Amino acid sequence: MMPGHGSAFHAFHLSLLRIASLVAPSRRRAEWWREWRAELWHVRRERVPAGGLCWPAEREITAFCLGAFRDSYCLRRQSPRESQPPASFFGSAAYCLFAMAVVLAAGMIVALRLPGVRAVTGTPLYRLNPHLVQIQRAEPDDDAAPTVPYRTFLNWKARRQRSFDEFAFFSIAYHSVSTGGERPTRWTIAHASANLFSLAGIPLQFALTDPPSDLPSVILGCSAFVRNFGANPQIVGSVLQIGEMNARIAAVLPCRAVALPGRVDAWLVEPSSWEAHNAAGYVVAHLSERGRLEMTSPRIAITAAGAGESQTEFWGDSIEDGEPGPWAIYLFTVFLALLSLPAVTSVSMAESSFSSHKPSLSRRLCRWAFLAGKIALLLALTYFISLDLAYSWFPIDSQWPLNIQLFASFLLSLFGMRWVVLDQRRRCPVCLRRVSNPARVGDASRTFLAWNGTELICTAGHTLLHVPGLPTSWFSAQRWLYLDTSWQFLFAASSES
Amino acid sequence: MAPDAKLSHTAAMILQAIHAGYIYGFSIMEMTGLPSGTVYPAMRRLERDDLIRSQWERQSIADADQRPARKYYRLTGAGRTTLEATRKRYPLLERLIPTEEAKSL
Repeated sequence: MMPGHGSAFHAFHLSLLRIASLVAPSRRRAEWWREWRAELWHVRRERVPAGGLCWPAEREITAFCLGAFRDSYCLRRQSPRESQPPASFFGSAAYCLFAMAVVLAAGMIVALRLPGVRAVTGTPLYRLNPHLVQIQRAEPDDDAAPTVPYRTFLNWKARRQRSFDEFAFFSIAYHSVSTGGERPTRWTIAHASANLFSLAGIPLQFALTDPPSDLPSVILGCSAFVRNFGANPQIVGSVLQIGEMNARIAAVLPCRAVALPGRVDAWLVEPSSWEAHNAAGYVVAHLSERGRLEMTSPRIAITAAGAGESQTEFWGDSIEDGEPGPWAIYLFTVFLALLSLPAVTSVSMAESSFSSHKPSLSRRLCRWAFLAGKIALLLALTYFISLDLAYSWFPIDSQWPLNIQLFASFLLSLFGMRWVVLDQRRRCPVCLRRVSNPARVGDASRTFLAWNGTELICTAGHTLLHVPGLPTSWFSAQRWLYLDTSWQFLFAASSES
Repeated sequence: MAPDAKLSHTAAMILQAIHAGYIYGFSIMEMTGLPSGTVYPAMRRLERDDLIRSQWERQSIADADQRPARKYYRLTGAGRTTLEATRKRYPLLERLIPTEEAKSL
C-alpha cells in the first residue's frame, strides 16, 4: 500500500510514465505501460520507507521514471513502420481525395473569414431594369462630372415628358463620418432621391422591414460595408453620424451594383431636404415607349427647353449592368481553361494494354468516379482559393480583386485540370494507387529496334506501366501490363506488412 | 543474431545478470548499477535479437502477494551461446555478476 503523503509523488511519477508512454508505438503501448507501472510499484516499495517522506528516494524514483522516455523512444525506433502511416496510403486514391478535401476545406474556411468574400458571394443575382439612361449636360470635358442642377431635375419631374416616364437624382458630397467610437473618416456620400434604387431595380440587402422615421435612412455601399464593418449585417439599424447629422443604416447595396459615376461609400436618402438645391448632380431616367424607339445607339442627344426660348443640350447614356460577379468570372475562366487544356496536355484517357485482360466493370466505374471526384474537388477549390487570393489584400471596389480572380481562377483550373489528367494516367487501373519506382529501359538510339522508355510499377503488384520515351507508330501511348501471380513473390513482404 | 556477435559491455552485463538470476528490470539495475534509461532499452534490443525472452508473471501469483505482476526475462538458447562467447571477450564478467552456483563455490 502506498504511504499517504507519498501519493502525490506517486501520481507525479505515474503521470511521467503516462507521458512517456505516448512516445511508445500504439501497438505496444499497453504492455509497455503495464511493465513500467509494475516496476514503479516495486521501486517505490524498495526505496521509500513506510510512513515517511524521503527526498533522496523520490529523486531516485524520478530519475528512474525519466529513463522511461528513453525506453519508449527506443521502442518506437524499433517499430519504424508504426511511426508513420503505411507508405502505400500516400499514393492511394483515398489519400489524393483526402488531401484535396483538406485544401478545399482550408480555402472555404479562409473564404468565410474574409469580409470581402462574404460580401460578394452574398450578393443576390439580379439584373438592372432595362431602358435606363444617365442624363448629363453635353460638355466635352468630363463625362463623370455632375452637370445637372437639382432645380432642373425638379422641372423635368414636374412636367410631362415625351421620352421618359420617371426620373431619379443624386449628387455627391464629402462628409466626415463617425462609425461609433472610432475616429471620424471622410466618406463619399451620395444624396439620392428615394426612388433611385427602385427605378434602377437594385435589390437592397439586409433591409429593415419597418425602419423608424425619426432619422433619415442611409444605404451603405458595399466597399464601406466591408471596409468599416467587416461585412457584418448586424450593423443595419445602427446610427451613423454624417457630418452634423445622424442617419440610420437602413440597408446595404449589393457589391458591384451599378456602373454609376463616383465611388460612393453611402447613399443618403433625402427626399425633400437637399443641402443645396443648386448643387449639380446626376439624373437617372427611365425611357418611355417612345423614348425607347428613339434610343438607337448607346448615347442619344437630348434637347431640353429652358426658361423662355433657351434650350440646353444633354447626352443620354445607356446604363448597363455593373461588373460581372465572382461566379460569372469563375464560370468564364473555367470554360476558357477547358478550351485551353488540349494546348498544355493530351486529354485522351484511352487505355491500352499488352493483353486482352481488362479490370472488372466495377473497378472501371471506380476509376471514372475517382476522376469525377477529383475534377469536382478541383473546381470547388479553384473557386474558393481564387476568391481568397482576390479579396485578401485589395479594396473591394478596386479593379484588383476582379483581375486577380480572373487570373487565379484561370491558372488554377487550367493547370489543376492538367494535373488531374496526368495523375489519372499514372493510377493503377486495379487499385487506383499511383505507380512508382520509375526505371529507364533501353536506349534512345535503338528506339526502332528495341523497347525504349520508362517502366513504373504498382506497389501492390497489380500492374506495370510502360511509357514510351519516344512515341512511335507502333508504340505511341502508354500501355499497362497486368501482372499475373508469378510476380507475387516480389510483393510478399509489402503485403505482409 | 550470430552467437559470435560482439555485444557491448552494457549488453553483456545485462545478459550475465539475467543468467545470474536477476530476471526483471529493476533487479538488473540494482545489480549492474546502470540507470533505467540504459537497462530497459538494452533489454528491448536483446529481446529483438532473440537473445532473451520475456514472460509475464502469472496474475494469480501477483494477486496472492498483493502486488502488480512483473515481466520476467530469461536467456534463450542463442542468448546462452552468445553469453559464453562474450565471457571470453569480457573475462571479468562472471566475477562482476556471479551466479548462485559460482557464489556457493
